[in-house]
Amino acid sequence: PPTNAGQAPGPPDGGWGWAVVFGAFISIGFAYAFPKGLAIFFKEIQDFFGTSYSEIAWVSSIMLATTYGAGPISSILVNRYGSRPVVMFGGLLCGIGMVSAAFCTSILQLYICVGFITGFGLALNLQPSVIMIGKYFLKRRPIANGLAMAGSPVMLCTLAPLNQFLFDNFGWRGSFLILGAILLNCCVAGALFRPIGAATASVKTQVTEKGTDALKEEVTGDAVEMSTLTDVPLKDKMEDEEEKDCCEKINQYLDFSLFKHRGFLIYLIGNVLMFLGFFAPIVFLAPYAKHIGIDEYSAAFLLSILAIVDMIARPTTGIIANSKWVRPRIQYFFSFAITFNGTCHLLCPLASGYTGLVIYSIFFGLAFGMVCAMLFETLMDLVGAARFTSAVGLVTIAECCTILLGPPIGGTLIDTFGDYKYMFIKCGAVMVLAGTFLFIMNYYNYHMLAKEEKERKSKEEHPTSVRTENEGRNNWNKETAQNGPELEPLREEQEGLKKEVNGT
Amino acid sequence: MQAGLHESSPESMTSTWTVSWQTQGSPSDHLTLEHTVAVSGPDLTTQEFKQATKENMSNVTFVEYEVLLPGVSGTSVEKNITLDSATRIELSCRLDSKYSHLKSLRVTWKRGNETIRHINKTENSWSIQLMILDNSKLGSYSCVLQGEEEISAVFHLQVPKIEGKEKPIISYEGDTVVMTCKSFDYAPIAWTWYVTNGSEQIAINDSLLADKYVINRISANVTHLKILKVTKEDDGVYWCEAAFELGKSIGKLKLKVLSLMVPLKPFLAIVAEVVIIVTMVFLYEMYSKKKEKRAEYEKEFDQVEQLKSEESNGLENSSARHRKT
Repeated sequence: PPTNAGQAPGPPDGGWGWAVVFGAFISIGFAYAFPKGLAIFFKEIQDFFGTSYSEIAWVSSIMLATTYGAGPISSILVNRYGSRPVVMFGGLLCGIGMVSAAFCTSILQLYICVGFITGFGLALNLQPSVIMIGKYFLKRRPIANGLAMAGSPVMLCTLAPLNQFLFDNFGWRGSFLILGAILLNCCVAGALFRPIGAATASVKTQVTEKGTDALKEEVTGDAVEMSTLTDVPLKDKMEDEEEKDCCEKINQYLDFSLFKHRGFLIYLIGNVLMFLGFFAPIVFLAPYAKHIGIDEYSAAFLLSILAIVDMIARPTTGIIANSKWVRPRIQYFFSFAITFNGTCHLLCPLASGYTGLVIYSIFFGLAFGMVCAMLFETLMDLVGAARFTSAVGLVTIAECCTILLGPPIGGTLIDTFGDYKYMFIKCGAVMVLAGTFLFIMNYYNYHMLAKEEKERKSKEEHPTSVRTENEGRNNWNKETAQNGPELEPLREEQEGLKKEVNGT
Repeated sequence: MQAGLHESSPESMTSTWTVSWQTQGSPSDHLTLEHTVAVSGPDLTTQEFKQATKENMSNVTFVEYEVLLPGVSGTSVEKNITLDSATRIELSCRLDSKYSHLKSLRVTWKRGNETIRHINKTENSWSIQLMILDNSKLGSYSCVLQGEEEISAVFHLQVPKIEGKEKPIISYEGDTVVMTCKSFDYAPIAWTWYVTNGSEQIAINDSLLADKYVINRISANVTHLKILKVTKEDDGVYWCEAAFELGKSIGKLKLKVLSLMVPLKPFLAIVAEVVIIVTMVFLYEMYSKKKEKRAEYEKEFDQVEQLKSEESNGLENSSARHRKT
């Protein structure tokens, strides 16, 4: 019987994919919302252990740092074992972490149990979820990303009152025990992440184009449905480069060659800059409201407004980003969202009174949701689904530093000047700068990609392919030509080209 | 104390009044009270006055409180004043000058049934001066303006309130629990903790039961009671009492002691739910894989059948050809 790998379809873009989106919704929701939801217990724990507030706040910081910093480890594990075992192990780790935290007798033990163990478990949840979406979706990927990322605000809105309820009825120890059980639901999400082989088929073109490094990644990738035909010539290539043994091995698990990838570098620099001003406004919104005289409950309500708008904005952004006008230029849309976010912060000091702050919260929620929904989608768009596994790990560890630095820098500004407006101006300026940088660099990137695509096509000596390409070639194709091999099947659908996908 | 006459002036009570009061800052020798004047509205809105008062008389603070009387009779204005140490206090009731056309007003200052002599501070205000040195002088003082209708205002002189906890504190058997009591703004002279045994309150002596109770004064305003090795018997109501120069104030706290079984039940329920759902997902996956395999097998079977029939057709054709030639 003929091998069907050559004609393997692209990612399903539906079917079981929606179950995967639901699983990712839960995983991502816990990963982002859980550290924030823990704040409700801090006052009681602070009294219990007799520590200062900043010592308690370290628990959250360690958790956040571990979740982002363990990104590369997560990527390596996914490259080696696949998403499903990693997520299930992560869920188990979260559960164990919180259950052991329930029996802690010192603040140091809390740092370890809640901070490191649970944080690491959440890291093992976050990365694979995003990776799985890239494996199951291509045409509808922005929508899938938007829906999955909506898990974060939904979980936050659920966890906040739930945590309060648990605390009132079970105290902080009992709450941690029950929260450990609730975190085990990440294992359910992991069970839904059925391994799939579709990704390798759609990136076989990449194998022939991008060289041995990415190729080796494919060989050790989690979905293994390689056609025997393509295997043989490639294995010869591998044997030729034995001298790079150690680097090869590392690159097998974590693709460091990404640092030579133009799109990846642009994304990395832009995002690292953006995160300096991303989270600080949320952290300081309620204190700022109280500072200008608004009562505690109305200040908390501002955050609820933000979360609700965020919840709606994320899937909506996904749908917009998926439309045929935006998808080819999705990087511009991302830059616009970041700049919009920055502008909101710059205008915030002009908001006077509660109504002004409500309007600010609505726009901030909208902008925040837009950026978050496209955060991973744009990375996938730039590097492609195959190298995304390593890319996301490298990006999160770089973002880890600026995420942790952002709020303290904002706090220092507030303390030095005694006024919140400088913090907002700093955050707004940083984000507008990041957005502009991304916009300009992506324009350059699209330009270069189009040029490379033209060169590549002219080098190929397939007269038929040249002819079919000349037929009905439209601007859309030119711009998105090298955005990643994942768009190849898309183009195929558009024009009926089959040569690249089938491989040589 | 000075005696004073009050005057009645012809006024008509047609408009509504505004109420205002000064708030006292933290007790210190130099009391500066500053408030800004706001425009009076047609309804009962609060106003604040710009005033500064301070006086230092042999370690006793002097404070002034003034209330603008409401015009609508029947409604009484109340003001809570918190005092924690010996204070010389002046309470005044004032009638806004635009209502000075009220006729035949008789002003009385009372505490309960006892009348206090007042002075006429100005044309439209009447005040009393009190020396509050102990608990007996605290209470409710009221000024009553008797005209065609009665207008009154009440001042409640109290010790500072203590904040306990409204919701019960949850703890587990064998665990340690820390209970906090806080006093706002005023530092008590001493704190005492009581536990309710049956219907009486028993003071907690932490030196006597040092391995059970630890009382810590974290700061001037905050006290902690730490109970070690909590048992079911420790469940109940606790009181923290703050002693001030002028009296005592208590806060109430409730302790609830649970056994570990209590959170364990929801925990096990959720774990069971997770296990069941994961098993279901895996079973469904195996089932759908089997279905796929069967469908593939049937397809292959059909293909083989087709090949076979083609072969047999071919054989017949070749044999037919063979025969023909």
